[in-house]
Amino acid sequence: MKREHHNHLLYHHHHQNLNPPLSDTSMGTSPSGGGYDYTTGVAAGKACKMWEEEQDGGMDELLAVLGYKVKSSDMVEVAQKLEQLEEVMGSSGDGLSHLANETVHYNPSDLSTWLESMLTELNPPPNFDSVMAVPPLQPQLQPPPPQPPLDDSSFLAPAESSTITSIDFPDRNQRNQSSSTCVFEDASSSDYDLKAIPGKAIYGQKTTTATQLDSSSSSSRETKRLKTSSGSTSSELFATTTSSSIAAPPPSLPPTYNNNSTTVNGDSPSTRPVVLVDSQENGVRLVHALMACAEAVQQNNLNIAEALVKQIGYLAMSQAGAMRKVAMYFAEALARRIYRIYPENPLDHSFSDILQMHFYETCPYLKFAHFTANQAILEAFQGKSRVHVIDFSMNQGMQWPALMQALALRPGGPPAFRLTGIGPPAPDNSDHLQEVGWKLAQLAESIHVAFEYRGFVANSLADLDASMLELRPSEVESVAVNSVFELHKLLARPGAIEKVLSVVRQIKPEIVTMVEQEANHNGPVFLDRFNESLHYYSSLFDSLEGSVSNQDKVMSEVYLGKQILNIVACEGLERVERHEKLNQWRNRLGSAGFSSVSLGSNAYKQASMLLALFASGDGYRVEENNGCLMLSWHTRPLIATSAWQLAAKPVTTH
Amino acid sequence: MPQQNRAEDQKEKRPRFCINDHIDILIEILKRLDGPSLGAAACVCRLWCAITRNDSLWEHLCFRHVSSPPPSSVRPVVVALGGYKRLYMVCVRQVLSRLGHSDLVRRVWTGDEVQLSLSLFCVDYYERLGSGSGRLGGGDASASSLMFLCKPVNV
Repeated sequence: MKREHHNHLLYHHHHQNLNPPLSDTSMGTSPSGGGYDYTTGVAAGKACKMWEEEQDGGMDELLAVLGYKVKSSDMVEVAQKLEQLEEVMGSSGDGLSHLANETVHYNPSDLSTWLESMLTELNPPPNFDSVMAVPPLQPQLQPPPPQPPLDDSSFLAPAESSTITSIDFPDRNQRNQSSSTCVFEDASSSDYDLKAIPGKAIYGQKTTTATQLDSSSSSSRETKRLKTSSGSTSSELFATTTSSSIAAPPPSLPPTYNNNSTTVNGDSPSTRPVVLVDSQENGVRLVHALMACAEAVQQNNLNIAEALVKQIGYLAMSQAGAMRKVAMYFAEALARRIYRIYPENPLDHSFSDILQMHFYETCPYLKFAHFTANQAILEAFQGKSRVHVIDFSMNQGMQWPALMQALALRPGGPPAFRLTGIGPPAPDNSDHLQEVGWKLAQLAESIHVAFEYRGFVANSLADLDASMLELRPSEVESVAVNSVFELHKLLARPGAIEKVLSVVRQIKPEIVTMVEQEANHNGPVFLDRFNESLHYYSSLFDSLEGSVSNQDKVMSEVYLGKQILNIVACEGLERVERHEKLNQWRNRLGSAGFSSVSLGSNAYKQASMLLALFASGDGYRVEENNGCLMLSWHTRPLIATSAWQLAAKPVTTH
Repeated sequence: MPQQNRAEDQKEKRPRFCINDHIDILIEILKRLDGPSLGAAACVCRLWCAITRNDSLWEHLCFRHVSSPPPSSVRPVVVALGGYKRLYMVCVRQVLSRLGHSDLVRRVWTGDEVQLSLSLFCVDYYERLGSGSGRLGGGDASASSLMFLCKPVNV
């Protein structure tokens, strides 16, 4: 049957590190019926052997349901691509060939028989059983109470809908109440010792959180299919599942049914009715699966982890919007960690520049960082006639036009402005930094600000020395040091941050501005890091959901996705995204001899106005925290700007 | 017939008033228009179109509601960055509408809003510099960084 090939494609799609974000783009923009086109388009021809085994059982059922809802005109296209894949699969090795050759083609309209045959043929591993439930259980369960049918549209645009169409069994309560072992009865394949996994992780029992989320989003389930509804869901899910204790299943979380499914309700109890379950449940399960997988990775139970990560991919597909993307990035990161395929650091500087540009445009984080840091620098430079900014995070130099303009318009006229930009090397990096300098020089000339520029290439900030910077005496020139999302990278090497801070002290700046992610992704325990980053990036991705340009959004997600990959999949020197919270930075800078400078109300006002300009401005908040400003998304602080000066010392150093 | 001629003579003796002959008055009137009206005025005739291209009209529009007049140093900077008309079109108009103002409603800007508009305007200029080399990927005329202002609010 073509469907199982379709499944392979879907799994290929998910576990290819290259394309998830792009496919999401096409998914978002393709017509409603084309929900599965993107996968076939992307994944056709790509064989990923290690994923093959599991996917069939699970995917088939999902697709079977959706297959009836997707327009049949799309299936033709799908079929063509499937044929291509089949050739590849057929030749790709032992593991697949039996699948390719031995498939029996059933009439897809006879859903129940087809499903039975598919499942028994493929002997699904236990992790799918948990999701799809097991045939033997079916007769024991009572038929579910009928539910109002969902609109057809709910199936057609998975990217836009917060409902999921997945196959589940009618009375999930009953199933969940039965002991966890009975679901694994059928799990004859002992490749994966999933019995060892605590029941919560796999079964995603309906927790109270699911109930409360369900009630809050029940309207959204049926009527609204907005990305925002699923977006907020994801962070809620992540926020609540960790704190809730998973006890008895909640009283009533009736699964939703689609009466349009051809063979569902009229069938006898012996067949398996296909029902649609609210995505909340699968969302909860997804979170549990992610955490269980991380735990397994931490305990080095790679077999379990491997099985879980495949399930995660499958569950992630059932979600929509931000949650899906976050889950996919984390699943990919976990997979890389398990299989030791570490993401290579991008050598192509221009690509990461482009990504950062799109991130700059889509959401206010970088703009917030720049504007607040600039305000602090502007205030520190008040009355000075020659100023020098040393920028540790030069990139495209997007921060400096606004500062230069503010300096140009300050009462008393602009000072002489000198900029030293420091950046990592790349094949053509000298051009890159010089190009940026040239553009800034053009701008400076237009607005009549005397401008000097120097670009420095350094592999790491720790390689810098104060003597390289050609500093002038502090009476002549006032210096500011600026770092936006750069200092945390130094934490990978012991001693690096201390060295850089001592170099900064030698520079004797008027002010040091620092913007960092407000999260602790540098704990010693992998599981803690994983959980923290899951929450953090869920919030970030949620905030992206409201952006107006799909392409920008996708690029921003890729930009953030790289950070996710680094946090989860890398270790040691490779793991550079070692975010720490503001308090930790306060301690660090305090012990390095710096004291905090309050950012002031001007910065606060500017930041608030800036945020109000963004489309989803109502979700963003600026908070003041002991003189530092934090940008939050719905009460979750995401980035923090702080300003520092040299602490007054009893003995003045020369 | 003689009566008619006399009526016509009387009419011809009275000079006809045409606004286009009095450009200073025209400018005074146009200065008080809001943005969309000014745009509409530009479509009336060639003369009006040429007048509305005059940047000082837009300068007046931009800072009309500012509580205190902007310092004189602002003008050369704005002109260098692309002019008041562009400042209005790209930044001021969006900032005003997003921050709850309306062109029709007189409301006093604060210095912060002016500063924010100017900063965004400067960023816009900088990006346009970059788009010439094509590095930033957004080669179109309007700076991509300010796209969030130009696109409709996504509800």
